[in-house]
Amino acid sequence: MTLPFWLEILVSTCLILGSLFALVGSFGLARLPDFYTRLHAPTKATTLGVGGILIGSALYFSHQDFNLSIHELLITIFLLITAPVSAHLLAKAAMHQELPQMHGTQGEALLKAQGHSQVQSNERQAEEKKDSEKGGDSTTASHKIT
Amino acid sequence: MTLLWISLLPILGAMVPLMAGRQSRIQCAWLTAIAPAAALILVLQQAPAVLKGEVLRYSTEWIPQLGLELAFRLDGLTLLFCLLILGIGLLIILYARYYLSEKDSMGRFYSFLMLFMAAMLGIVMSNNLLQLWVFWELTSLSSFLLISFWWQKTEGRKGARMALTVTGAGGLCLLAGILMVQQVVGTLNVDEVLASGDQIRQHPWYTAILIMFLLGAFTKSAQFPFQFWLPHAMAAPTPVSAYLHSATMVKAGIFLLARMYPVLAGTDLWFFIVSLTGLATLLLGAYFALFKHDLKGLLAFSTISHLGLITMLLGLGSQMAAVAAVFHIINHATFKASLFMAAGIIDHESGSRDMRKLNGLIRYMPHTAILAMIAAASMAGIPLLNGFLSKEMFFAETLHQDLLGSLSWVIPALATVAGILSVAYSLRFIHDVFFNGEPIDLPKVPHEPPRYMKIPVEILVALCLAVGIVPNLVVGDLLYAASSAVIGQMAPNVDIAIWHGLNLPLLMSITAVLGGVIVYSQRKRMFRFQGQFQDRDAKLTFEYIIQSMVEGGKRIVLFIDNGSLQRYLLCLLTAIIVIGGYAMLNLQPLKTTREPIPLDAITLVGAFILCCGGLATAFWHHKRLRSLLGLSVVGLVVSIAFARFSAPDLALTQLSVEVVTIILLMLALFFLPQRTPKESTPSRIIRDLSVSGAIGGIIATITYAILTRPVSSISDFFLANSKIGGGGTNVVNVILVDFRGFDTLGEITVLGIAAIGIYKLLLRLRLSMPASDVIGRSWSPERYPMILATVSQSLLPLALLVSVYIFLRGHNEPGGGFIAGLVTSVAVILQYMAHGVDWIKTRLNLDYQRVVASGVLIATLTGLGSWLFGRPFLTSWFDHFHLPLIGDFELASAMLFDLGVYLAVVGATLLILANLGKMTTSYRPLHKEQD
Repeated sequence: MTLPFWLEILVSTCLILGSLFALVGSFGLARLPDFYTRLHAPTKATTLGVGGILIGSALYFSHQDFNLSIHELLITIFLLITAPVSAHLLAKAAMHQELPQMHGTQGEALLKAQGHSQVQSNERQAEEKKDSEKGGDSTTASHKIT
Repeated sequence: MTLLWISLLPILGAMVPLMAGRQSRIQCAWLTAIAPAAALILVLQQAPAVLKGEVLRYSTEWIPQLGLELAFRLDGLTLLFCLLILGIGLLIILYARYYLSEKDSMGRFYSFLMLFMAAMLGIVMSNNLLQLWVFWELTSLSSFLLISFWWQKTEGRKGARMALTVTGAGGLCLLAGILMVQQVVGTLNVDEVLASGDQIRQHPWYTAILIMFLLGAFTKSAQFPFQFWLPHAMAAPTPVSAYLHSATMVKAGIFLLARMYPVLAGTDLWFFIVSLTGLATLLLGAYFALFKHDLKGLLAFSTISHLGLITMLLGLGSQMAAVAAVFHIINHATFKASLFMAAGIIDHESGSRDMRKLNGLIRYMPHTAILAMIAAASMAGIPLLNGFLSKEMFFAETLHQDLLGSLSWVIPALATVAGILSVAYSLRFIHDVFFNGEPIDLPKVPHEPPRYMKIPVEILVALCLAVGIVPNLVVGDLLYAASSAVIGQMAPNVDIAIWHGLNLPLLMSITAVLGGVIVYSQRKRMFRFQGQFQDRDAKLTFEYIIQSMVEGGKRIVLFIDNGSLQRYLLCLLTAIIVIGGYAMLNLQPLKTTREPIPLDAITLVGAFILCCGGLATAFWHHKRLRSLLGLSVVGLVVSIAFARFSAPDLALTQLSVEVVTIILLMLALFFLPQRTPKESTPSRIIRDLSVSGAIGGIIATITYAILTRPVSSISDFFLANSKIGGGGTNVVNVILVDFRGFDTLGEITVLGIAAIGIYKLLLRLRLSMPASDVIGRSWSPERYPMILATVSQSLLPLALLVSVYIFLRGHNEPGGGFIAGLVTSVAVILQYMAHGVDWIKTRLNLDYQRVVASGVLIATLTGLGSWLFGRPFLTSWFDHFHLPLIGDFELASAMLFDLGVYLAVVGATLLILANLGKMTTSYRPLHKEQD
C-alpha cells in the first residue's frame, strides 16, 4: 500500500529529525569537553532522537494497518519517563565523585559546598582526611583542564 | 514363609530391647530372648526335613532389574549355622544380663546384639549373593557398634574402627567378586550359581573371582595377613567377644568359603592360597597365643589359629577334609564360646584379665575352674572331648594330601607343631589361672559368679563332653547334612570314633600333647626368647597406614581441586579441545550444499559490535565494571540478533535475562575487591590465549558445520501440531508448556533448588562490605535518590501490567510465563534498588521460598490433574469460551502450568537477588539465624 504524499513527507521529516538528533547526540558525546556537558548529548539522542523515529513509525504503521499503532506511543512514554532518571543518576554520581567540570560552569561554588558537606557527614576521621585530599587533587585537576 | 519369619524375627527383636529398656534388667533380657527363641523353634521344626537332605527355599522379588530378590534357603550348612547363631545367641543374652553392670545400657546392648544376630542369620540363609552381601556388610556395621559398645574407652573405639575398616574393605572386594560371578553366570541366585561351578572354574575371570571372594572371607575370618584386627576387637564386652569370635562374625568368612566350596574349590589355585593361608594363620595364631598375658588376648589368638585350621581343611579339597572342617566349626564354637564366657566370669569376679596376676583361682571359684578346664582341654584336643575328634580328623587329612609333591610331609609336620603350641597355650590357660600359687594384687577378692551366669557355660561344656563321647548320636546327622551341603553332593559316610586303633594321627595327637607339656614347662625360655623381639603394636601400624592413606587422598584432592578456577577451566577446555578437535579431524567436508543467507550491512555491523563487546570484556577484565559493560553489549546484540532472525520469544527472554544478570553481577562486584593485581605471567598469557583461541576455533567450526548442513529436525512436527495439539500458535511456548512440559517441570524444579541453595549459602556467608570505593571515597549519603524512587514506584504498576500482558498472550504470541516472570522480577528488583529493603519490607513481605515452592507445586499439580481424567501425566486441555464484554477467549490447562513457571521464576530470581542485595543492609539473612 502506498502512502499519500503528505504523510510520506511527515514520516520522512520525523525520521530525519530523529536521526539528526541521534547523530548530534553521538557527535556531542564524542566532542564535548567534560562529563556534565557530555551527559547532555546522549539524553537528547534517547529522548528526541528515538522519539522522532518512533513517531514516524507510529504514523506509518497506523496508516498501514488501519489501526492506531500505540506501541510506539507507549515506548516513547516509557523512554521519556526513564531517560531523565538515568541521566539524573549519572549526574548525581558524577557530582559525588567530584568529576572535573568545564570552566564557567554555573553554581560551581554550590557544587563544592555540597561535596564538602558530604565529607563532613562522614563519620570516619581517617576517611575524611583521605577524602579532602582527593578533593584537593580533583580541584587541581580541573584547573589543569581549564 | 517360615524361612522369612526366621530371618525376620531377630530384626523385629532388635526393637524389643529398646522399648523394654526401662524394665528391670532381667525382664529386659527375657523379653529380648523371645524373638530368637521363637526363631530357634521354627528352625528346629524345619530341621527333620533338612536333615533328610531337603533344601527349603523362599523367594520374592525385590529389585528384579538388579537381579536382586529376597530369597532364603535352608540346607544342612544353613541349619548348622542357624543353630549356632540362635542357640549361642540365646546363651549370650542370658550371660550378658549378669555381665553388664548397672551403668551399661541394657537396651542398647541387646538391640545391637539382635541386629547383629539378624545380620548373621541373613548371611547364612541368603539364597541370593547380593542379598548375602547386604547382610555381610550389616554384620560389619553392627559388629562395629558392638565392639565400640564401651565407646568411652579409646581401645574400644580404635578396635571397632579397625574391625570395620578391615572387614568393610573385604566386603567391597566380595561385592566385586559377586558382581563378576553375576557377569559370568548371569544370575545371583545361589542355587544356580552353585550348579554352575564348572562354568566359573573354566572362565578366564576365575582367578579374579577367587581372589575377591577370598579377600572377603579372609578379612572377615581374620586370616593371615588380616589377622591383626581380631585381638584389638577384644576391647568389646566379653559377651560380644564370646559371640562374635566363637560362633558368628569370624565364622561368616568360613561360611562363605564353605558356601562357595562347590563353585570355587577343586583347583590348584584354591589349594595353594586357601590351605597355605590357613596353615600360616594356624601357626601364627598358636604361637602368639602362647605369649599373651591377657586372658582374652590368648583366646583371641587361639581363635585366629583355629580359624586357620578350618580354612586349611577347606583348602585341602578332599571330601573328608570338608567334613572335618564342618565338624571343627561346631566344636570350636562350643568350646571357644564357653572359654570366652569363663574368661568373662574371671574378669568380672576378680577384676583382672592379666595372667601374671591371676593365679590359683581354683580355690576361689572351683565350679568355674572345672568348667573352664574342660573347655580348655577340648581346645587342646584331649580325648573324650569334641576338640580331640576334629583335631584328629585334621591330622589324618594333612596326611592324605600330596599337593606339595615330595615336600608334602611338611604339612603334617607343621600341623603337629601347631598342635603342640595349642596344647601349650591351653595348658597355660589352665595352669596359670587356676593353679600356680596365689593371686597377686587383684582389685577384688575373687568369688563364684551368680548361679545363672554359669548356666550358659555349663550347657556348652556339657555339649563338648557329649559330642566328645558319643559324637555320632549328638551331631552325626547334622554333620552329615551340613557336609553334604558344603561338598555339593552326598558326603562320604563319616565314621567319627574316639578309637581308630593305633595309627599315625593318634601318634601326632600324642606328640602334640607331650610336646605341649614340654613347651609349657620350658615357657620361661620361650618368653625370654620372645622378649628379644621388639613389641609391635598392630594398632599403631594400622593407624599409620590409615593416616598416610588419608594424607595421600588429601594430596590428590588438593592437586585436582586446588580452588583455582583457572585450572578447572584449563582442564575442561583442554578436554574439549582434545575430544572436539579429534572429532573435527574426522569431519570431512566442512561446507555442504546448503546455501548461506546473503550478508547485509546491518548484520555485519551487529557482528562487529558483538566482537567489540566480546573483546572489550576480555581486554578490561582487570577493571571489572568496564568488563561488565562489555558483557552487556554482547548480551544486547545477541537479543537483537534473536529479534532479527525471527525469534521474538528468545529476544524477549534474552533481554530480560540480560537485565537480571547484569544486576546480579553488579551486586557481586560490590563485594569483590575493587582492584585486581596483574597476576598473569607472560607464559601464562600465551597459554591462556592459545587455549581460548583453540576453543574459539573449534566452537566456530562446529557452529559453521551445523549451520551449513541441511537438517530435517523435529521442528516441522511442532509447527504442524502446535495449534491442533497444544491449542496455541506460539510454538515456542507450546513446546515449553506442553510438548516438552516435563522438561520444563524439571527445569523449574532445578531452578528452585538452585535458588534455595544460594539462599542457604548466603545465610552462612560473612562478606566484608567495602566502606568506600577504590580511591577511598565514601558512599553517597543519599542512598535512595528521590527521583528514582518516585519514578520507579509509578512504573511498577505499568511493569506489572506489561508482565500480565506478556503472560496472557504467551500461548499464541511471543511471551509466556518465563518472560513474564523475569519482567516482574526486574520490576520488583527496581523497587529494592530505588527504595531499599526497609521500604519493601513493610509493603511486600513475601517469603520467596514459598513462592518458588508454590510455583513448582502448581505446575506439578497441573500435570497430575490430567490423571483425574484418565490421561497421562501433563496432558494439556484447552477450549474456547465466550464472555460478554470480553468476547471470545481461550482457556488452556497449559496456562495454569505457565503460572507455575511464572511463580517459580519470580520466586527464584527474587530469592537470589533480594537476598544478595540484603547482604549490604542490616537485613542480611545471617541475622535471622542468630536469633
